[in-house]
Amino acid sequence: MTGRVTPLGLALLTVAAWALSLAVLSARPELLIVILPLAVALATLARPRRAPEYALTCELSADRVFEDDGVRVTIAIAARSALPVVVVLGPLPRDVALASGQPRAATSLGPGQTATFSYDVRCPVRGVHDFGTIVVHVRDRWGVRAWEGRHPRARPLRVYPRIAPLRSLPQPRRTQTSVGDYVSRALGAGIEPGDIRQFAPGDAIRQVNWRASLRLGTLYVTQHHREHNADVVLMLDTLAQVGPAHATTLDWGVRAAASLATAYLARKDRVGLINCGGTIDWVRPGSGRVQYERLADTLLRATVVFTYVQKNLAFVPPRVLPSQALVIAITPLLDPRFTRTALDLAARGFDLVVIVVSPVDVVRATLPASALNDLAGRFWALDRRAQLDEFRRHGIPVLEWNPSEPLEGALAGFGRRRFNQQGGPVAGPPIPPDARDAPAEPGSIDQHRGPSHGPPIPPDARGAPAEPGRPSTPLGAAR
Amino acid sequence: MMRVPAAVFALVMGAIPLGVAPIKPVAIGVGVGLVLAAVGIAGLWRWPVLAAACLLLTDYTAALWTARAPVNIGGAVTFGLALLLLLQSVELARGLRGTRVEARLVRSQIAAWSGFATATLGVTLLGLALAGGLAAAIPFAAAPFVAALAALGVVLALTAIVSGRPRV
Repeated sequence: MTGRVTPLGLALLTVAAWALSLAVLSARPELLIVILPLAVALATLARPRRAPEYALTCELSADRVFEDDGVRVTIAIAARSALPVVVVLGPLPRDVALASGQPRAATSLGPGQTATFSYDVRCPVRGVHDFGTIVVHVRDRWGVRAWEGRHPRARPLRVYPRIAPLRSLPQPRRTQTSVGDYVSRALGAGIEPGDIRQFAPGDAIRQVNWRASLRLGTLYVTQHHREHNADVVLMLDTLAQVGPAHATTLDWGVRAAASLATAYLARKDRVGLINCGGTIDWVRPGSGRVQYERLADTLLRATVVFTYVQKNLAFVPPRVLPSQALVIAITPLLDPRFTRTALDLAARGFDLVVIVVSPVDVVRATLPASALNDLAGRFWALDRRAQLDEFRRHGIPVLEWNPSEPLEGALAGFGRRRFNQQGGPVAGPPIPPDARDAPAEPGSIDQHRGPSHGPPIPPDARGAPAEPGRPSTPLGAAR
Repeated sequence: MMRVPAAVFALVMGAIPLGVAPIKPVAIGVGVGLVLAAVGIAGLWRWPVLAAACLLLTDYTAALWTARAPVNIGGAVTFGLALLLLLQSVELARGLRGTRVEARLVRSQIAAWSGFATATLGVTLLGLALAGGLAAAIPFAAAPFVAALAALGVVLALTAIVSGRPRV
């Protein structure tokens, strides 16, 4: 701790000197009496005093939360020596809003006494916020001497993007060999009944179809369809963003990516992530809770890094982008480099789906309604429609998502359109009759078992649609 | 909340000169001093409050000098304490701006101020008793020079204390 004489000490000295001068000039003893309290207060500075001693603890009610969740910060100070006036300044990071209470508290403590205070904060912005440094001011009783101590300690709070529950997801065309929720055409171990055939040596007794066996006079067994998982790679465009602070197209894209990752991981799929921007960052496809943590941590860091350097997916190792994977590109389509990258992926045969976060709607939500703004918005929307048509001409499914509407609603209609375009069934019998005897293609899918056994979806995210754009500054950083 | 005691102390400092010499020049000085104090207390600025303190002190001197009243120890002690506490309370209010103040801090501060006032009164009475004995020993012609030298010595001593290295 560093100690110093406060400005009050200098003020008292000034007034005392002035009063002494007046006393000598006017020869009135009352002025000497007036000086006495000031002189006594200043004289306390002559007495050496040790720096105050105390112990400080700071606790957060949670160290990982979702956007807009609240956290309670509790600070306790235990005095080892007397602290006549102590002011504790709790941490309040820049992007964290105070919900209730005060991050500054003042009290007076004797040796051995402890004071605790707390305040609530709300975290509207994803990222890692440091609740590290606590500042303590201690003053002596007369306010002429003060000490200040800074207590930095790493105390990060991770704020993850908000997750919207998704039931309808883009279906992958190809699956992998691991067990999952997609019913494959291939026959093997599974619970979805497929075909029946005559009993052969080696078949398990529990597979015998007794009803068919009794009717046909010989043993028949029921075959089942295999259930596989799929590889899904989310490709997030971090080349450019528009929109108000904390509700930019990138923020909405990150929320969509987190929601999709959660939903696919719930289906036992392996999910990977590529942040495609000024710097390329990736997470190898994987499954499970740990993979969700990896993806969420990478999404926390997603930000626009401006660069002229042409980045492409040649930097990405093949195991991050498996050839059988379903690639979901999430982009506002503001930078032509990402368009080229997406077309390149489609040309290389990847199963690509493009989810376009509409920048028109994000920006229009922040602008006042006027004829000029409306006209500009309509021109921009027409221009973007032409841009999306280019993808459609290449046979790439494109979904334009207005962030003021729930992602679930947009995906539901999109899933039906995609399967109808490809001629694949959405529901109903898993295998066409004429395909039952055909050798099963290892990767092809018939249907998905349906939404299921979710990963940890936060209670407040259940049933909560994606939040519409919040008003703030008119335009965020662009490009 | 800390502005209230500061305003009370400023009013006390304004009332004492008017009680000593209720004349127009003193009243004008008090008025200007109180306006300065009000500005300083409202904005929690140090310099208006310090200027107000100096002005009210000058006004008090002028009132004493004009009225040529007998020595009033109670009034002087009250003025001195009000002066100290005005400066202290404004400084404290600055430090506690936007801060949640716990009740025990307020209690301990009131107790400290009360104790200090009592101690100051006792020290003043003791000092006056000692000064009575010393005054007889100093020749009348040399008294102004002794007073000036003593005042200079006190100012230098206090300056040395304040400007010296903090003993922490």
